Amino acid sequence: MKKRNPYLFAILPLYIFTFLFILGPIIYMVVISFLTNHGSLGYSWDFTFANYIKLFDKVYFRTFTKSLSIAFFSTLLTIIIGYPFGFWMSGLSAKGRKLMMLSLVLPFGINSLIRLYGWIIILQSKGILNNVLLSLHIIKEPLKILYSYPAVLIGMVYALLPFMIFSIYSSAVKLDLSLLDAARDLGANRVITFLTVSFPLTLPGLFAGIILTFVPSMGLFFIADILGGNKVVLVGSLIQDQMTRGSNWPFAAAIAVALTLITSVLLYFNKIISAKDGGQ
Amino acid sequence: MRKKYKFPYFYLAFISILMYLPFLVVVVFSFNESKLPTIFTNFSFKWYKELFYNKRLLESLLNSFLLGIFSTLASAVIGTIGAVGLAKTHYKLNKPVSYIATLPMMIPEIILAMVFLAFFSLLSLPFGFVTLLIAHTAFCVPYILIMVSSTINTLDKELEEAARDLGASRRRAFIDIILPLLFPSILSGSILAFAMSLDDVVISVFVNSPYFVTLPVRVYTQLKTGVTPEINALCTIMLIICLIGITIYYILSNKKEKHKHD
Amino acid sequence: MIKKISVVLLLTILLLTFTSCNKAEKDQLVLYTWEGMFPREVLEGFTKQTGIEIIYSTFDLNETMLEKLSTANGTSTYDLVIGDDYIIDAVIKRGLAQKLDKTQIPSFGNINPIYQGYFYDETNEYTVPYGAGIPMIVYNPDEIDFDIDSYQDLWDPRLKDSIAITANYRLVNGITLMSMGKGLNETDIPTIKAAGEKLLLLADNIRLVQDDNTQLSLLNGEAKVALLYTSQVTSVLAENPNLKAVFPSEGLGIGIMDFFIPKDAKNAKAAHRFLEYILQPQVAADCFNYLGYFCTTKAADDLVNPNLVFKGEFKGEIMQNVPEDADEQYNKNWIEFKTALN
Repeated sequence: MKKRNPYLFAILPLYIFTFLFILGPIIYMVVISFLTNHGSLGYSWDFTFANYIKLFDKVYFRTFTKSLSIAFFSTLLTIIIGYPFGFWMSGLSAKGRKLMMLSLVLPFGINSLIRLYGWIIILQSKGILNNVLLSLHIIKEPLKILYSYPAVLIGMVYALLPFMIFSIYSSAVKLDLSLLDAARDLGANRVITFLTVSFPLTLPGLFAGIILTFVPSMGLFFIADILGGNKVVLVGSLIQDQMTRGSNWPFAAAIAVALTLITSVLLYFNKIISAKDGGQ
Repeated sequence: MRKKYKFPYFYLAFISILMYLPFLVVVVFSFNESKLPTIFTNFSFKWYKELFYNKRLLESLLNSFLLGIFSTLASAVIGTIGAVGLAKTHYKLNKPVSYIATLPMMIPEIILAMVFLAFFSLLSLPFGFVTLLIAHTAFCVPYILIMVSSTINTLDKELEEAARDLGASRRRAFIDIILPLLFPSILSGSILAFAMSLDDVVISVFVNSPYFVTLPVRVYTQLKTGVTPEINALCTIMLIICLIGITIYYILSNKKEKHKHD
Repeated sequence: MIKKISVVLLLTILLLTFTSCNKAEKDQLVLYTWEGMFPREVLEGFTKQTGIEIIYSTFDLNETMLEKLSTANGTSTYDLVIGDDYIIDAVIKRGLAQKLDKTQIPSFGNINPIYQGYFYDETNEYTVPYGAGIPMIVYNPDEIDFDIDSYQDLWDPRLKDSIAITANYRLVNGITLMSMGKGLNETDIPTIKAAGEKLLLLADNIRLVQDDNTQLSLLNGEAKVALLYTSQVTSVLAENPNLKAVFPSEGLGIGIMDFFIPKDAKNAKAAHRFLEYILQPQVAADCFNYLGYFCTTKAADDLVNPNLVFKGEFKGEIMQNVPEDADEQYNKNWIEFKTALN
């Protein structure tokens, strides 16, 4: 006798919501990418592959590689900075953890765009960073950091760090301290304990963090616009351009579909790797 | 915490300060006399005064909070029980559905905005709070789903089985055992979702109505005419509200902890 | 407990849904444009005079507005819209605007004719101009020791890494074409490609590309020369009167913003009343002084900031929409150019 799985009701809301409000619009997006554009008159229902063929043009293709490189480096930096943060944060006392989490949350209360303007004030030639470095005589002339690739990286890492930290933290906070004590009792030193016990157990958090960092970074073009002075062209800026003065929604949709596919493929690899290593 | 080494504390403090720098700058500049967002001239309260006259801006602040709370709640519920359900059932559609549900995070906002607009028009939904709520929930669900799913597999299955053996119903086991264990992930995901909702402008501009405008929309649509420190003043006030809310939460939850121990 | 909370939440959602639906008891005008297009006093003055409440709705990009108007079936949420010239071209071509009833706008003659009759509304039946922009070159004479008076000057190697330009791909391509003696609405592909090559040579001189608040870079020293929109010029000259602003000698580009009324606007009557109001000399002057764009209401020319009244003969072109293949080449030029920057 087969009993109906009682968890059916748990996934029903997700199923319904997904099919209705997520799948629907997405199918629409895919459909648009195959239509023909007519400039200011909009697009017509003539199916074509032209938009996808255009993607392979050297000019557009390069934006994809550029975006991937920025996403990759931003994610790498957030892991380097964020992993220790999340890990050590989980080791604080209960009060300390709460305090830290709340203090991480607070900056979200300000609009991200405004915070970026804050970075301009800090990084500009007559800005805070340069003033400090100059007065400490570390440099002789102001650094022209603003409107460059490094500035974009700083902005990206700043925006994405909380995501990584939260992910690592959620995983690390559930570490069973008795496991660590057991390892130490068995003679392992601090480093080895970390590498063989703590780190593997926090991998799920790390992989979640990678997803939550890498994926959005492909789209955060406004950071490249504001801090990079629009000199770093990302896929997101391309799409924005195409959808605005370019007035070419089918092409923009094609770019978006391509972006989604690439991101999905990378996520798939991420999942495979995490299943192997995280190995539950 | 390994009390011998102080370095972790320094690291946490250092990075936290760095994270706070831009927003400290924003707060300081809200007192800037000049209209320019990047050059400080004189100290002045003038923008705070402007803010009080700007009823629309304050109204949109309230709208943003309301929208954020409701879409976070909705996505937290759908996402959490969805994640639990996905882990406990083995339907063939589970994998595709979980993939599709995370797609909104991968698709550039402007595209999402465009398709939501077209799709909602197709369904003749009333534009305004309803469409905003749906759209925001749609892009918030992935955050909750990813966070909760990643920790659900590490839950000790034996705990749940033990509870069931002791006679607890499935519902009880869920509420008393699983939910508390998932709480950190749900909270983390919810905070991220709330932040995303508060910040969203592109999607909101497309699916809103003239009667329900959110704050980021007001801010971003000023770009053609120039951002003034009035926004800084508003952000500072938002911060103060958040700070008060967080402090209250902190005090209350500490009291509860003490209560538990007594 | 959970049940109680759910009920409360549900009620709140229902309440919010209903309050955000149309509150059409009072006489309302739904205005749709960028944020900050009118001084507060002007809007309040209208309500005081007519009793009509203004619901100020905003968009960030012209294309957003176009899309929202296109998907409205039957009735339009918006009564009066302000957009850029090129987008109004698309709006009218798609049949989304209605002809103005000039009997309701007796002051229509207050408009300065040099801002009318362009490609998007040659017969002036659909639009009322509200502000015009002519991009100019502004530079800091303290940092630059020679005179700049043409687009060609921007290519001068002495200006390495010191120019800020706006992020408008047509404009940037346009100034390149004008420096080559061509027009900015060029449609010949080889010519556009040649412009692209010349544009690449400019890359070294560019410090940053930014569409909004470009003028700030002149004020905080990040850039020494800038290509600015009119409102940015007005704002930057107010902050630093030492800066020099020039109309480049090869020719000018112009962009005009206009009011139009969507086809199925609910309250077209209120829209017409607002148009009549905005064309009053003093009201117009207040608006343009606030906005910083060229005054398009001739009757207000004496009352407004003199920098905002265009003097002399206008030798220039308005930026028009071009055929797709030309547009694509312009786009490619732009992306190649941006990629070459750093």
